[in-house]
Amino acid sequence: MSGIAVFLCKCFGEINRVIDLDSLQKKSEKNTSVVFSSVCESLCPADDIAKTVSRIRESSAEKVVIGGCSHLARGGAIIDGLVHGGIKRSAIGLVDLREACAWIHQDDPERATEKAWDLISMEIAALHYRRESDDVTVSVYPEAMIVGAGPAGLSAACTLARLGFKVHLIERGSSPGGMLNLISHVYPSDEKASEKIKVFVDEVEKNPLIHFYPKAKITAITGFAGNFRVQVSSSAGEQRLRVGAVILASGARVWLPHGLYRYGKLKNVITQMELERQFIKGPREIKTAVFIQCVGARNSERPYCATMCCPSSLKNAVRIKDENPDARVFILHRDIMTPGSVLEAYYRNALAKGVQFIRFEETNPPEMMGTENVEGVEVFDSINGMKRKLDCDLVVLSTPLIPNDDNVKLAGMLGLQLDRYGFFSEIFPLHPLETRVDGVFICGSARWPVSSGQAIIQGEGAAAKAAALLGSKAVSALSLSRVPGEKFGHASVNAEKCTGCGNCVAVCPFDACRLQKMGKKSISRVNKLRCKACGNCVSVCPNGTVQLPEHDYRAVAAMIKQAFGEEMAL
Amino acid sequence: MNSTNASPVLIVGGGVAGIGAALDLAYCGHAVHLVEKGRVLGGQVAKLDKLYPTDHCAFCPLWTDIKKLREHPLITVHTSTKVKELKRVDGRLHAVMVRKPPVIDESLCVFCGKCAGECPEAAIAPLGDHVYPPSYLVREDICNRCERCVKACPTGAIDFQRTEETSELMVDDVIWASGFTEVDLTPLPEFGLGKHPDIMTAMEFEEWTAEAGVNKGAIIKKSKPSVPRNIAFIQCAGARDQRLLSYCSAVCCMHALKQAQWAIRRNQEIQCVVFYTDLRTVGRDYYEYSLRDISGSRVRLIRGRPSLIYPLPGKEGIAVKFENTMTQKREIWGFDMVVLNGNIGSSLKKKDQEKHFSLALSDDGFVNPEADAISRFACGFSAEPADVAESVIQASSAAVKAILAKRNK
Repeated sequence: MSGIAVFLCKCFGEINRVIDLDSLQKKSEKNTSVVFSSVCESLCPADDIAKTVSRIRESSAEKVVIGGCSHLARGGAIIDGLVHGGIKRSAIGLVDLREACAWIHQDDPERATEKAWDLISMEIAALHYRRESDDVTVSVYPEAMIVGAGPAGLSAACTLARLGFKVHLIERGSSPGGMLNLISHVYPSDEKASEKIKVFVDEVEKNPLIHFYPKAKITAITGFAGNFRVQVSSSAGEQRLRVGAVILASGARVWLPHGLYRYGKLKNVITQMELERQFIKGPREIKTAVFIQCVGARNSERPYCATMCCPSSLKNAVRIKDENPDARVFILHRDIMTPGSVLEAYYRNALAKGVQFIRFEETNPPEMMGTENVEGVEVFDSINGMKRKLDCDLVVLSTPLIPNDDNVKLAGMLGLQLDRYGFFSEIFPLHPLETRVDGVFICGSARWPVSSGQAIIQGEGAAAKAAALLGSKAVSALSLSRVPGEKFGHASVNAEKCTGCGNCVAVCPFDACRLQKMGKKSISRVNKLRCKACGNCVSVCPNGTVQLPEHDYRAVAAMIKQAFGEEMAL
Repeated sequence: MNSTNASPVLIVGGGVAGIGAALDLAYCGHAVHLVEKGRVLGGQVAKLDKLYPTDHCAFCPLWTDIKKLREHPLITVHTSTKVKELKRVDGRLHAVMVRKPPVIDESLCVFCGKCAGECPEAAIAPLGDHVYPPSYLVREDICNRCERCVKACPTGAIDFQRTEETSELMVDDVIWASGFTEVDLTPLPEFGLGKHPDIMTAMEFEEWTAEAGVNKGAIIKKSKPSVPRNIAFIQCAGARDQRLLSYCSAVCCMHALKQAQWAIRRNQEIQCVVFYTDLRTVGRDYYEYSLRDISGSRVRLIRGRPSLIYPLPGKEGIAVKFENTMTQKREIWGFDMVVLNGNIGSSLKKKDQEKHFSLALSDDGFVNPEADAISRFACGFSAEPADVAESVIQASSAAVKAILAKRNK
């Protein structure tokens, strides 16, 4: 049994004015695993941490219990200092004697001291079973794969190539550009979409670091951060790629409003994308147009706002006005979604150009008039409380973006999570371009519907995240831990005891557990680089074969036994 | 990637955008100096009680990233520091920074609270419950300089004699990430701000009702310690208004929905009304978040901009005069509390900047990305009204653009 040193902090009187530290010292010294126990004036100033480290080094102790303040006060700083001094994280136990004992129970010093001893003795018992996870380091393959050559993917590819990384750009279509190929102009800059793509396409053609795979499909992905193996099937045949990072920029598709507003039955009731196609061909003189927003969006079936439909209608409404100032253009909406300063100015510009806005309620949608061609729209204007008849020769339906069907397949292959609508989930709230699988990043409308401008920004952001990984020569499992200095470790399997039942494989949310043939039987193997130490596998393992070394179940059992006696132990 | 310690990037602002940009640069091997004028990192997000749309606490994820930032060898953090001058010299930038050291040095403070216990004026309080590392703050407006706290402090962290320190730095580029501040609403008297203690701005309401704040999450009036029967949330207060802020502040609709929802969740007696113009719920899960409120019926959404908010003469409540544009009725309703949402703008102010360096700002006060070396990169509210996710995405993009600009030199 390795020896434990106990350090009890007075915190300049804050702790020992309530807690009897001397009695705690004596009690702890009676414990057979404690090598020595010491009461100190303070523990957190840098000098004290250095002193603590050298006192542990000079003794035969290998583990240490710190009785001080809470982790978020100075306790965390003490742990960090000891770890920097070379003491393993799993060999350090922190007990909060200040906030959790001395301060909160200051009216009852006796019971506060009792609680303090319970906490210290539990920590001593637990430390016996805590071990450090073995780390594993893999070299990073400094190439990236980007799925989708729309604005997000192109921007990510060009950014990574400019940073000096080789990029494999996979596109299911025959040419790059994605949604930009389908629209005439982009908002809010009103640049031509074709010119916007051209800059990227030129770079894709000229930069030897970018490898473009048109009409390609991903058939398999395995691996982990720094080392993914991908199988791509394209007109050039089957290809195997090895990449360090994956950026998903596979975009989204436009929902078609079959059955709504007599779309498909009345000529001249078209979707926003059909209008874009007409505009690509050239200017079109329109006399009266009615745009209808939230067609198939913000309803019970798709309860979300697709972000880009309001500004797209503003763009095209203004375009009609610009080409024919006498045109009458109406936008029927439920809320105009133009957050921020640029888009709000875009909205004001449309108002200034004479585009008329009519608000309707979800429960009382506009109705189409006409038999073959649309002749007018009847709408209940909820702001002035009157029914209005608008004569028109064009109705444009704004429909939302919906997730691609192959998101499910990609998510399955990579072990990613999809949100309730089918878009790729992010790490909320501060890492919106990262996923729960390290080395896999998301951007553009595959993540959440966005404009092409935002998609380009997200592509750059995802490239920054990928570059950080690709630029490091090697990546270690413990360095991927999300909390610095707090090693949660990863699960490990005792190969001899494992029966290969597969429970762990079924519950692992990170695709880290896999069954592997070993001789005649199958046993579970944990991929340390994918494991996030959630502990699901530990809880379903029938014979305790899977363990988290830092959080061994025996440590918890020992703590319960220490606090409540033998009968409560597991 | 080659390490370029000698030519760091300066980041102005230590909120979520600044932290994000600093981490991205450092992880790509570039040195960073991050300047924050306040004492703590985390910016406005650190002041938020809960984050929409998941209702998570803001502090834990923020703490993780602040810890990464503090531990990264390529990142130097300067708190309580302002950039005073920024000049272009031979394609690089010469920065002059002024640090006003706080009375209590957080690197020495052990958060024992002896200073607060000694202070006869109650001028010393924790820097905030959601602060890492935790420390205390001396409110210099109340402090009478008896210096009893100096003697009480066991680590010598308190010193009233510290003077301003000026330092200089050569940097390759600067990223503006200085976030938002509240814009004074008193030029628009119809909102009644300052006329009644229970008329407050959204950030004041957040602080007043935060679980880790003064009232430990209780929803009570400021005028007297009782539960308000109803709360009015006024959207677009000062925003989308040509007299003050012509833009939409982007975050306020969701912020109000969050506050209203938490108010009714914490107290079964409270009714909330959100007065809005357009309910802008464009992010992931935002629209569903707004539906959750409506279905409860204790949060009513009324489309209309109140024309006048005033304390009821001779009574306790506050009157809100408005036209419900969905029924075309003009009404006056009484409320116990009124929360004003929308009056937020970039911290970068034209008049302040021009004194020391010429930063290109748009009419709305946001950084105009120009080929000028001083205003090329901005993220978060310095660039455009943005929520948390949008701000950190812009930060990553600004970081990578700054790296590319360095490579092209």
